[in-house]
Amino acid sequence: MLMISPRMASGMQEKQYTPSLLSFFIYNPKFGPREGEEEKKILFYHPSEVEKNEKIRNVGLCEAIVQFTRTFCPTKPAKSLHTQKNRQFFHEPEENFWMVMVVRNPMIEKPSKDGKPATIEYQEEEILDSVYGAVLRQCYSMYKLFNGTFSRAFEAGGVELLRQKLEKFFYRYLQTLHLQSCDLLDVFGGISFFPLDKMTYLKIQSFVNRVEESLSLVKYTAFLYNDQLIWSGLEQDDMRILYKYLTTSLFPRHTEPELAGRDSPLRPEVAGNLLHYGRFLTGPANLKDPEAKFRFPRIFVNTEDSYEELHLIVYKAMSAAVCFMINASVELTREFCEQLDALVGPQLTLLASDICEQYNINRRISGPEKEPQFKFIYFNHMNLAEKSTIHMRKTASVSLTSVHPDLMKILGDINCDFARVDEDEEIIVKAMTDYWVVGKKSDQRELYVILNQKNANLIEVNEEVKRLCATQFNNIFFLD
Amino acid sequence: TASREQLRVRYGHIIVFLQKGPLVLVSASKSHQSELQLRSELLHVYHQIVSMLTQASINRIFQCRKNYDLRRLLFGSERVLDALLDVMETEAGFLLSAVQCLPLAPSTRDTISQILQKAITPNLVLSILLYNGQLVSIVQEKMVIEDARLKSTDLHLLLNLIRASSAFQTGEIWTPICLPCFNPDCYFYTYVAYLDPPDCTICLVLLSTDKDAFYAVAECKRKIEEGVRTHNALQCISKVQLCQVCHVGVAELRHFLFKPLDVPDHHSQLPQFTSPEVEAPYSTEEKRIYLMDLYWHLHSRIHSTLRPIKLLYHATQRETLLALVTGKFEMYACFSPLVTKSTAIGAVTKLLRWIKKEEDCLFIRSPPKYSTTPPEARGFSNSRVQTNKTLFGTI
Repeated sequence: MLMISPRMASGMQEKQYTPSLLSFFIYNPKFGPREGEEEKKILFYHPSEVEKNEKIRNVGLCEAIVQFTRTFCPTKPAKSLHTQKNRQFFHEPEENFWMVMVVRNPMIEKPSKDGKPATIEYQEEEILDSVYGAVLRQCYSMYKLFNGTFSRAFEAGGVELLRQKLEKFFYRYLQTLHLQSCDLLDVFGGISFFPLDKMTYLKIQSFVNRVEESLSLVKYTAFLYNDQLIWSGLEQDDMRILYKYLTTSLFPRHTEPELAGRDSPLRPEVAGNLLHYGRFLTGPANLKDPEAKFRFPRIFVNTEDSYEELHLIVYKAMSAAVCFMINASVELTREFCEQLDALVGPQLTLLASDICEQYNINRRISGPEKEPQFKFIYFNHMNLAEKSTIHMRKTASVSLTSVHPDLMKILGDINCDFARVDEDEEIIVKAMTDYWVVGKKSDQRELYVILNQKNANLIEVNEEVKRLCATQFNNIFFLD
Repeated sequence: TASREQLRVRYGHIIVFLQKGPLVLVSASKSHQSELQLRSELLHVYHQIVSMLTQASINRIFQCRKNYDLRRLLFGSERVLDALLDVMETEAGFLLSAVQCLPLAPSTRDTISQILQKAITPNLVLSILLYNGQLVSIVQEKMVIEDARLKSTDLHLLLNLIRASSAFQTGEIWTPICLPCFNPDCYFYTYVAYLDPPDCTICLVLLSTDKDAFYAVAECKRKIEEGVRTHNALQCISKVQLCQVCHVGVAELRHFLFKPLDVPDHHSQLPQFTSPEVEAPYSTEEKRIYLMDLYWHLHSRIHSTLRPIKLLYHATQRETLLALVTGKFEMYACFSPLVTKSTAIGAVTKLLRWIKKEEDCLFIRSPPKYSTTPPEARGFSNSRVQTNKTLFGTI
């Protein structure tokens, strides 16, 4: 991706290229161990137009690197390979199945001068291993959510079935990767929780219980409001990838009709007496049409133990969205959907407006938001709760940040330093631009604060952050 | 493939490749050093090899015979390379690209420098006096300095070579040594002797460009010995009190590195740094390496190529670290973990004050010079390359 840099000199400008995906492939060396069989190892390769021998060579190189690094550390093989022009990331999600992502380093193209050709300068140290390593692992998690594990596919239908599934999924998914805007939040892969008072939370709990009792087929439920999670019955790791799917893919696709005006043709058909605003985001788009076919997406959860395949029903009313997950072996009929619609629609509509009202009351009580003053990112490893006042919008395409990318990278550096030891630590940095960055780690929680106080010293910066912690985080962070 | 590659293995192993001419160097490390730092260590190893063989020799050998086994020429020098790897783990000089001077009263140092300045002979280019590896005095040839400055790397490699070869302990040594950053293709002829046998703590090193000048250079040594005896300089040197961190006056300060940066160029100084003796809790070899590793990490963050920073404060359960770089200096300090931020910042002020007070003793401000090269013999790009020579032979 090309961005024109603000550095301009006499009409000739430097072009800044952001990191981009060069190639992505998946292989299993056990599938083609003998010479002449190398092509059999390759299960997926992007870009597919690459010549066969080059694919084999690239895969062979990765195998060799992994073997080589195992001599130094047999249990923990290669994670990344840094070269001048690109970085390769390695991930072995299941035994002998390897995923490799090759990212081109950001570069600056300096214009040709006095007859000399244009030069390219590669910025080798720019991108963070932790960020793109996390992106690669997330590729696997997302694939597994919708397709189950590689081994199961192989067991069910051999290499051919596995290849088909990989092709179908990654061909589309890789197009949604926006490597130029990946940052610390990708390392966390966290979930944004919606802040609620106890009463409303209990109302939601009892709603979920009631629905689960009436519709006994429902195995797991998750409740979200405004792209933020309130309650989930799923395991953490499954919920975190489902959350990512919902907030970056499913919900953005369905926002427009709700925002449309009353008389707009986009407005969904509702029941005659307007009982509720509920509708299906997955499954039947229009319950009134008996001819319309529908199906629910299938997801796979608990792959480490019980390995369950479930229908994913996502039902929304105004800003509240509920996910119902039902065993995939059950056939979900139109009658069932109508039953669900009639049961959930009105209750969810009421609940959604309750939440909205309560939220507004709370905001009025707590006074004007103090948050916008502080630019911070918070993450709790225990419940995956994340909060960022730096990122303004998170959609599938881009995550806009209100701070300079270099500062985000400094945050990434601090996060890497924290990851080395499992103890409470604090790191304070004064950047070249005189911005201050404070990182605190305490008891599985991490907090990063960016302060634009150029003339402050360390003591003053410390006081500011203490103030933030006292108001926002109730003195969770104890280090002075 | 690119000429520089690094592999990073999960959980902190890094494998780094460096190619210099026909040689490929590989390093595997578990430390906190960055790829750039590991590469620079490999470069030091390469330079140490060059200091023994010269770059021109290496290139020529491999040009003639691509499969040559360089170990044949490096036989006997493994301990030099081993010593280099060890010393890079514990000495801050490599990290800071600077040398440490022995803290000495300016009058004493001036007296010694004058002694060195007077004991010259044609083609002598460098006279160095050291006490336990720390610089007492260094005098350089005027023309040589104008042509090309002596780099701290060369000095470190030279000292490592001398230290690692126990043969240097007795008698006098006359041996070819290349200074790779100065001129990688030719040898200097180095005279080494200890002025205080059998303690062997005070080392004299004289470098000449003339291979046949042994007797003339040995005569210089004799003159220096005489001068040093007259002024009782040896006693002054061995009685010197080394820097201790308690002198700064901050209780929680455990150790620091300080390198001044505002040195005017015409002073043609070697970059220098100062640092106190390492004390508890870092007095064991293992802890010294651990402390240096912390400094390496601070350094790589502060001097990051794409996102350098001005200040880094890192509080952990074991120690609190502070790194600071300004236009005038860079410093790295290690405190006890209980230190408060105000104490840490206050320590910077106290340290600067102490350095200012002691700076004439801690640093060699204007290194003296002498003139020994006739004008027509200027220019050291004419290589005097030796292919058949014995390393570390005593005469």
